[in-house]
Amino acid sequence: MAKDKVSMNHSMSSSVHVQSLKAKKKNNRWIWYVFLLPSFLGILLFMVYPIVESFRLSFYQSNGTIENFIGLKNFQQVLTSTSFWNSVWNTFYIAFFQIIITIPLGFIFASLINSVKFGQNLLKTVYFLPHVTSIVAAAMIFQFVLHPDLGVANYALEALGLPASSWFSDPATSKWGVILLAIWHWIGFVIIICLANLQAISPEMYEASRIDGANKFQQWLFITLPNMSGTFAFLLITGWIGGLQRFNEVYVLGGPSGSPARSIQTMGAFIYERGFTGFEFGIASAATYIMFIIILVFTFINLKVSKMKL
Amino acid sequence: MQVQKKWLVVWFIVMLGIMAGCSSSESGTESTSKKEGKWAGQTLTVHLIGDFSMEDATDPITGKTNEGLNSIKQEFEKQHPGATVEFILMPWEGYTEKTQAMITSNEADVYQMPGLADFAAQGVLEPLQSYIEEDPEFSLDVFIENQVSGWKVLGPDSDELSIYGLPLIGDARFINYDKKLFDQWGVEYLSDNPTMEEIARKAKQMTGTNPVTGEENYGIWFRGDWSSAFTLVNLAEGQNGRWGTGFAWDEIQFEYNSPEMVNGLEWLLEMQEYAPDGLISNQGAERWLTDRNNIAIMLNQGPGDLILPVYAQGLEDRIGIAQEFNNDDGIGGMFAGSPVAMAKESDNKELAWEWIKFSVSEDFQRYLFEEANAMPVIKAAEDWESYKEVEKMMNPTIEAMRTPWTPRYPWASSQPRFILTSEIEAALAGKRSAKEALDKAQEESKAWLDNR
Repeated sequence: MAKDKVSMNHSMSSSVHVQSLKAKKKNNRWIWYVFLLPSFLGILLFMVYPIVESFRLSFYQSNGTIENFIGLKNFQQVLTSTSFWNSVWNTFYIAFFQIIITIPLGFIFASLINSVKFGQNLLKTVYFLPHVTSIVAAAMIFQFVLHPDLGVANYALEALGLPASSWFSDPATSKWGVILLAIWHWIGFVIIICLANLQAISPEMYEASRIDGANKFQQWLFITLPNMSGTFAFLLITGWIGGLQRFNEVYVLGGPSGSPARSIQTMGAFIYERGFTGFEFGIASAATYIMFIIILVFTFINLKVSKMKL
Repeated sequence: MQVQKKWLVVWFIVMLGIMAGCSSSESGTESTSKKEGKWAGQTLTVHLIGDFSMEDATDPITGKTNEGLNSIKQEFEKQHPGATVEFILMPWEGYTEKTQAMITSNEADVYQMPGLADFAAQGVLEPLQSYIEEDPEFSLDVFIENQVSGWKVLGPDSDELSIYGLPLIGDARFINYDKKLFDQWGVEYLSDNPTMEEIARKAKQMTGTNPVTGEENYGIWFRGDWSSAFTLVNLAEGQNGRWGTGFAWDEIQFEYNSPEMVNGLEWLLEMQEYAPDGLISNQGAERWLTDRNNIAIMLNQGPGDLILPVYAQGLEDRIGIAQEFNNDDGIGGMFAGSPVAMAKESDNKELAWEWIKFSVSEDFQRYLFEEANAMPVIKAAEDWESYKEVEKMMNPTIEAMRTPWTPRYPWASSQPRFILTSEIEAALAGKRSAKEALDKAQEESKAWLDNR
């Protein structure tokens, strides 16, 4: 009897112990939410609220204080504005050439760096440096590099017997000034990502193909490229998203109006010009949502084309 | 273990509190209110834009130690026993949106407010006319001519221009020229009020290889982007034209494609031939205000970037100032500067008015001029020793401040300005003729007005 009692006590105490462990585990789970709370509040305040407020504002004529409900008129104004579509064209033009030049070029540089025996880390650091440089500072330096009279770029062109360019002083060439800057700034990132992928391809695959008689070009074509497809898709999608949101460098180079003659005004700059220099917050909000839809649709197409899974 | 975690949470909350508590609300000014004196317990928050600092600081151009705002704070608090002044200082970068955010959340009592017209129309500013009329100590006569009328704006419901802000910091636009280059080319200096024809003739004469130094010289330079709309409108004013009429948006009529504007833009296109490459992107004038300068005439210049560097580099005998183009009434050029305004939601309006009076007093205006490189707005400045030391530059500046086009162009920071600027750039870049560009600017600006 006494033995049974002891056994029952033991079983009860072990059940209490299990329950207390469960409670601890449960508490353990909750404690992490407390740690997440500050950043969650930050997201609510600085992301969710502005997104909702901007949506509301897009239906109002608003100068920041006085508001009138005008329905879809802001959307109609933005969609019929030639300067908005000009900014859409500029945004896509700059992003397209940045991506189509930087990804192949970055891949070539990454392949070259991958094939050298010494100094790989130094080369990686050197090529990655522009990417960690502030784009605002880089844009200011590029104004001097591409100066029509005193710039290094024109000096080099003339030394090669090529005609000098007006760069940022001519609407025909200013976009190419921005593209050059964008390539210079992004290529380090592309190189590092490509290099990481290149180094992850199994050497056995190359060895097996060599035994089967494949030459270097065939190895590159049938082993390297197919193994890089995921990286290319990633770079393509992130490149487009970044390219469509372009603002900082064009603001430094051409102001909110994208001088000269709105030739480098991007969608982001259009929104800034209408919202923060002209106090047309309704128009700016409507343009923001149109820009969001454009990026959404374009990213969806990119995902389909690149067959990348989310 | 459980206890440890509880402590961890408590520690986390305490750290958050400490971080929030330790972060400075602004420039480290005291916030405890005083308990004695006429203004006991009242704290006034003053907003200023520009290179102000609370502490003394060394000027990077002159090497001179400039007094910080702490001395001003002490002086105002001494004159107003019991009052406490706190400053919120911000840079010029993005000041419009920052000011908008501040005024929406009722952050300050008194604002430095270059965008006065936009904010007065929002109904967030206190009209100052009654304060002026009821204060026997105060008179508008202290201000340099045209400065008060330049800042008259429309309130949210009024259809008559009235005073919502008083001049605080002056500004002006004028034409600069390099006397040394004029001497080297054997060209007579610009007259005090030059015509377009005089400028064009002299710019043409001084473009090419300098006969003394053998260097390439350019006759003229003007900014082809950001401020080109103001340069063009001034050219129209010089021909007795104007940008248009009206002040409230529903009354404004643009005259962007008037014959005077078209003629002005054609003149700019002609002048571009005597300027270095790059003026559309604000390039080509890098040597201006150095002893290696290669440009003879600079259009649409201001005193802010001129007077200090000129004297710091000993160029005061070399740089000349002529007035912008004026109409037959002697008026022309953009009105610029910064007024001081009172927030409608201020809890200390009486003290705010005291600050406004203080900020246009000789004490504060002298401080702005001598310590903050800002132009004074009061007539008394002309008697100061510090003014007399630089009067060669200051006299024409004050003259330019007396004769701008007033009230301030109401479209100066709105879409019609950017439309006009873009079309001037298109013409300068050769994309369109002057007439086509201005017809397009007129059409787009009118459409923008109609859609408001």
